[in-house]
Amino acid sequence: MTAPAILPAKGAADRLTGVFWRRPGLLLLLLVTPPLLWLGVVYLGSLAALLLQSFYSIDEFSGVVKEEFTLKTYAELFRAQNLDIILRTVVMATAVTLACAVLAFPIAYYAARYAKGPWKAAFYLGVMLPLWSSYLVKVYAWKLILAKEGILGWAAEGTGTGFIIDGILSVPFLEGSSLSTSPFGTFLVFVYIWLPYMILPMQAALERVPNSMLEASADLGATRSQTFRTVILPLALPGVIAGSIFTFSLTLGDYIIPQIVGDSSRFIGLTVYQLQGTAGNTPLAAAFAVVPILIMLVYLSLAKRAGAFDAL
Amino acid sequence: MTAAVEFQDVSRHFGPVRAVDGVDLTIAEGSFFAMLGPSGSGKTTCLRLISGFEKPTGGAIRIFGEDVSNTPPHLRNVNTVFQDYALFPHLNVRDNVAYGLMVKGVGRAARHAKAEEMLALVKLDGYGDRKPAQLSGGQRQRVALARALVNEPRVLLLDEPLGALDLKLREAMQDELKALQHKLGLTFVFVTHDQHEALSMADSLAVFNEGKIAQIGSPQDIYDRPATRFVADFVGSSNVLPPDLTRALGGPAQWASLRPEATRLAATGPVSGTVTALRYLGSGTRVVIHTGATEIAALVPAGQPVPAEGATTAIAFEPQALHLMGTN
Repeated sequence: MTAPAILPAKGAADRLTGVFWRRPGLLLLLLVTPPLLWLGVVYLGSLAALLLQSFYSIDEFSGVVKEEFTLKTYAELFRAQNLDIILRTVVMATAVTLACAVLAFPIAYYAARYAKGPWKAAFYLGVMLPLWSSYLVKVYAWKLILAKEGILGWAAEGTGTGFIIDGILSVPFLEGSSLSTSPFGTFLVFVYIWLPYMILPMQAALERVPNSMLEASADLGATRSQTFRTVILPLALPGVIAGSIFTFSLTLGDYIIPQIVGDSSRFIGLTVYQLQGTAGNTPLAAAFAVVPILIMLVYLSLAKRAGAFDAL
Repeated sequence: MTAAVEFQDVSRHFGPVRAVDGVDLTIAEGSFFAMLGPSGSGKTTCLRLISGFEKPTGGAIRIFGEDVSNTPPHLRNVNTVFQDYALFPHLNVRDNVAYGLMVKGVGRAARHAKAEEMLALVKLDGYGDRKPAQLSGGQRQRVALARALVNEPRVLLLDEPLGALDLKLREAMQDELKALQHKLGLTFVFVTHDQHEALSMADSLAVFNEGKIAQIGSPQDIYDRPATRFVADFVGSSNVLPPDLTRALGGPAQWASLRPEATRLAATGPVSGTVTALRYLGSGTRVVIHTGATEIAALVPAGQPVPAEGATTAIAFEPQALHLMGTN
């Protein structure tokens, strides 16, 4: 007589489960290999190819790419007209990021600390809804809103506040016949389009600040503004930085908005698009594409040195 | 003696929920006062009423005789040790402790010196440069204590400060807190749901139940003479005897309490029952005897014979051990 089996009979699937249970590393390996291949080969690989291209140069007569290592292409970035493009893009990205941060903070703060139940749902819907429609549709809609005969001009005329728009349009560097042909219009559209990318990480960061920490600050004698400066802001800073990475880098790379709204002056993204597409100067396009990467690296190292990630 | 904190018919209702309901309370200056009760009994809300994080919906609160109805938390001279410590993760230990001085505009050198002094008081000298995340639970608790004491409050509020610590550490901290309170001569108001902690640390305590104070008095009062069945049951697992059982045991027909350690086993007596459970406690054995509808626990000291489960035994006690609680 054989003793009855204590353990239930095992099928092939059970044996496989057993193998994974014994060797959790194997399961992890199977899970992360495909995404790592994607990241390593497709993503980082193309980035490396881009970097390589930037060290090539173009033959000015034949227009053929010379596959020889040179820093000539990078030197071209320092021409006055190219430096102008870089400077204009960085100023725009900085202004857009600051404006997004200022606009997003109260919204994120309200959503994180006060909104509950249906109000929270309404918040998420309100922030996400614009992301559901086409980016191009939104940009063209803004072109119409900002046009001379658009709703904004019409409302300003009706309320006698047209002088505000005229005032903005007479500021140096913001000149234009209407908001939709002024750099200020470009700025407004950038802020509108990227705002959700600032609100969401900020809200996530603010949500992680426990209420007891704000109470502890008040308990120790801090006024509301002191609590804001010394507790809330430092703790929300990683979220602000995360949001600013989005708004900053998205503005650095965008090539559509400046084409549709504004005075058609060139930004990095647009320049890359034109160099690559119409001029066929891939090395210079690649060199231009490296600029935002360098700017972001500098920005992040400055943020780190300022202690922005201490609360992580 | 002045009253450090005074509640006069104080209520805090959240819609239909009466978290605190008509509480009258006087906490003497320099005392170690405990608020004891199960969760949801209103003890923490009472503490938050003192610190100012909750506003009463009725009644008056006075701190050292001064009505604080219109005083926000940051202007009250009380400080709190929070249950989760609420240390600021982006500041090091020294800056955490010095925070209260920083917001008052005390200069860097002066506030750091004072912070070091406070850290020495809680035996954490040399830890100033660490971040809270690098400390153990017990060390964080000390930092929270030092931070709350740096402003030299007249009343220190402690919201279940030892709840997250393991038993050994908790006992050590109980002694230290008591010694610290003695040394500083401050009024400590301590919220806990642990009856042993409340009894061993407090000079006087209030037992909360459903938003009201069930009893207020010294630990001996509460332990030996519980005013209600709730107090008898909550503080120290007393036997609660219904009126008919009290009468069968020779008392009047009233609810009564009887401590397990005052209950003895006897061969014969007016009330007997079956032993249903035995629990060995080291210092003795807890014997549960089933008599009709009531369970009575008796503590048999170590070295005395313990009956077997299922045996029949009678119970006995000194007459003065029976504490009557009236008919409520």
